[in-house]
Amino acid sequence: MEVVEKKEKVRLVLVGNPNSGKSTLFNALTGLNQRIGNFPGVTVEKKIGNLNLSKNKKAEVIDLPGTYSLSPRSEDERVTFEYLTNNNRNDLDEIVVIVADASSLKRNLLLATQLIDLEYPTILVLNMMDIVELNKQSIDVQQLEKELGIPIVPMNARLGKGVDQLKERLANFSYQKVKKIVEKHEEKDPLDNTIERFNWIKKVIAKTVKSEGPAKTAETTKKIDSVFTHSVWGFVIFLFILFLIFQAIFSWSTYPMDWIENGFMVFGNLLAETLPQGVLNDLLVDGVLAGLGGIIIFIPQIALLFMFIAILEDTGYLSRVSYLTDTILKRFGLNGRSIIPLLGGAACAVPAIMSARTIANKKERLLTIFVTPLISCSARIPVYTLLIALIIPAEKQFLGFNLQGVVMMALYLLGFVAALVTAWVMKYWVKSEERSHFIMELPIYRMPRWKNVGMTILNKVKVFLFEAGKIIIAISIILWVLSSYGPGEKMAQVDHKFEQMFSENPHLNKEDYSDQIASEKLEESYAGHIGKFIEPAIRPLGFDWKIGIAVVTSFAAREVFVGTMATLYSVGDEENTESIRGKMAKAINSTTGEKVYTKATGYSLLIFYAFALQCMATVAIVVKETGGWKWPIIQLVYMGALAYFSSLLVFQWFS
Amino acid sequence: MTKTLADCKIGDTVTLTKVLDKQLTIQLYSMGCILGEEITLERIAPFGEPMIIRVEDSFISIRKDDAEKMEINA
Repeated sequence: MEVVEKKEKVRLVLVGNPNSGKSTLFNALTGLNQRIGNFPGVTVEKKIGNLNLSKNKKAEVIDLPGTYSLSPRSEDERVTFEYLTNNNRNDLDEIVVIVADASSLKRNLLLATQLIDLEYPTILVLNMMDIVELNKQSIDVQQLEKELGIPIVPMNARLGKGVDQLKERLANFSYQKVKKIVEKHEEKDPLDNTIERFNWIKKVIAKTVKSEGPAKTAETTKKIDSVFTHSVWGFVIFLFILFLIFQAIFSWSTYPMDWIENGFMVFGNLLAETLPQGVLNDLLVDGVLAGLGGIIIFIPQIALLFMFIAILEDTGYLSRVSYLTDTILKRFGLNGRSIIPLLGGAACAVPAIMSARTIANKKERLLTIFVTPLISCSARIPVYTLLIALIIPAEKQFLGFNLQGVVMMALYLLGFVAALVTAWVMKYWVKSEERSHFIMELPIYRMPRWKNVGMTILNKVKVFLFEAGKIIIAISIILWVLSSYGPGEKMAQVDHKFEQMFSENPHLNKEDYSDQIASEKLEESYAGHIGKFIEPAIRPLGFDWKIGIAVVTSFAAREVFVGTMATLYSVGDEENTESIRGKMAKAINSTTGEKVYTKATGYSLLIFYAFALQCMATVAIVVKETGGWKWPIIQLVYMGALAYFSSLLVFQWFS
Repeated sequence: MTKTLADCKIGDTVTLTKVLDKQLTIQLYSMGCILGEEITLERIAPFGEPMIIRVEDSFISIRKDDAEKMEINA
């Protein structure tokens, strides 16, 4: 007999009900060896990972969106349904790994029986065995294996118990044709089919599951819910949690942000001194490094926000927020489920808009997608932080709270209110005959699974850093070029003018004039010309041509505003020791001689950035999600007009 | 007159006898809430909806207009 030394590869497809611990198992299997891809044709996130099952067997793992059955009701579930019903992939052998919450086996077995009947090679993971134990239940796994006809692995994915056994069973997996549980009859109503399945499942459960009284975890959850979903306390707690999150983000993130800011300053100076003087030096220090520093500094805030959202979701609390807010959101044409995209929108609109797929009703989903970009996202944090620090002194208090924090919260609130009002107007404009439901499982309360939380933070920061970072670096370089070069001989003439002045007045200190020279040169550069070109249109909002440049460049992504400011205010400055904020605070309008960043301009700019849809990534995702250019264009025009006229009002009000 | 889930008070445990909407039936069934199942009304949010029902050890939220389409036997 010949021994073949071949490394085999299989594909594992993870399928399960929502809240069955599927993602925990995915993380336990693949660890850091995972990436996010897209399903062909659709934009639902596809999580793919790799692992070694044994010495000579590798596996690729795909985590499909959670679903209760093979009767899809939302876009999200449709992806799972379509993946499983179109089995014309023959590149790899596939094994369907069904993840079931063992503590509510009856409901979880419905999907399992449907998958077995699709004749896939399947293996069943009985997850959350710890809860089964806690509830004083016991499951006869061997008997259940016999009834279902497929291998079963009991597991506690949270503690990693059972993961090795699963790998072993998968490595030695051999497919045997299993008897169908429910024969498909074409003439029969699929609903009768479901009832037939449940009748079968009930019989099996009677044989395999023993329990003593009601489940302890459900009783505990009921008790916690009597407070957390209370008609009054529920809302008080939710608002308190939101407030805590915002306070935490702005106080905790100060320290790491200061370190990053100082680190970049030291590194920039070092680089400027060690590299030979010239174009490359300027490009690296004032172009690339300035842009890079401008985005890395905000990672602490973004990571913290995603950490809180991940914890709220993982404990089961987020679905209670949906429950509490459904009746309010319903009045505005939305759904309790819209709260998850809306909260997620506070981090980044792109994944948030994608998470609207769990909303089954098309109109509610469209409205959610339309208004989510109005929620202040993390890309606005850099802009808000910079501008708020510029116009409000750090020590100012409002009712005992830091005023900077209060204004920040007010901006988020403003975005939320604008989103609701917009949805309410659209409710009457968009017609739909489809009935709307709010049928949602409220999972039991659990301690957060820290590995899941960590993984979420890591993935989201990665997306921010690479997706937004790419655009920011590219624009930083373009900006550096635009602000270092100008049409004709104008920039050289500025140098010439000052040299002449110095030679005529030898007693003048050249250092005193370096800022003035830099500023005059910038005015003559390409960037200055673009800014000046649009200045008449934005002057009523209190913006000068420098802000004009930033508004134009940050159409790609809002946070580019900070990078643009960094570049605009450091170009020509040899001593790179001042932070952008300090430079902006000193900025003087060259025509009026007054400070550029007055309260009126500051607030006007804040409102502009709160409302305008300056994010190419969002436009792209809305095109994909709504299947065309109609909605993103309406959204772009609507948000642009809202931003322009609101800023106009604010500026005129304050000045 | 037939009673529906919307007529129930908090704490009532009832049996589901008929669902009057096809789409609703599919959704309820896939979550384990089928005919003959015992349902307990656990909570009602302010303004009368949504409500939380308990089916075995699962908690499910539902709006009032859907509860009105679920006929029950007290």
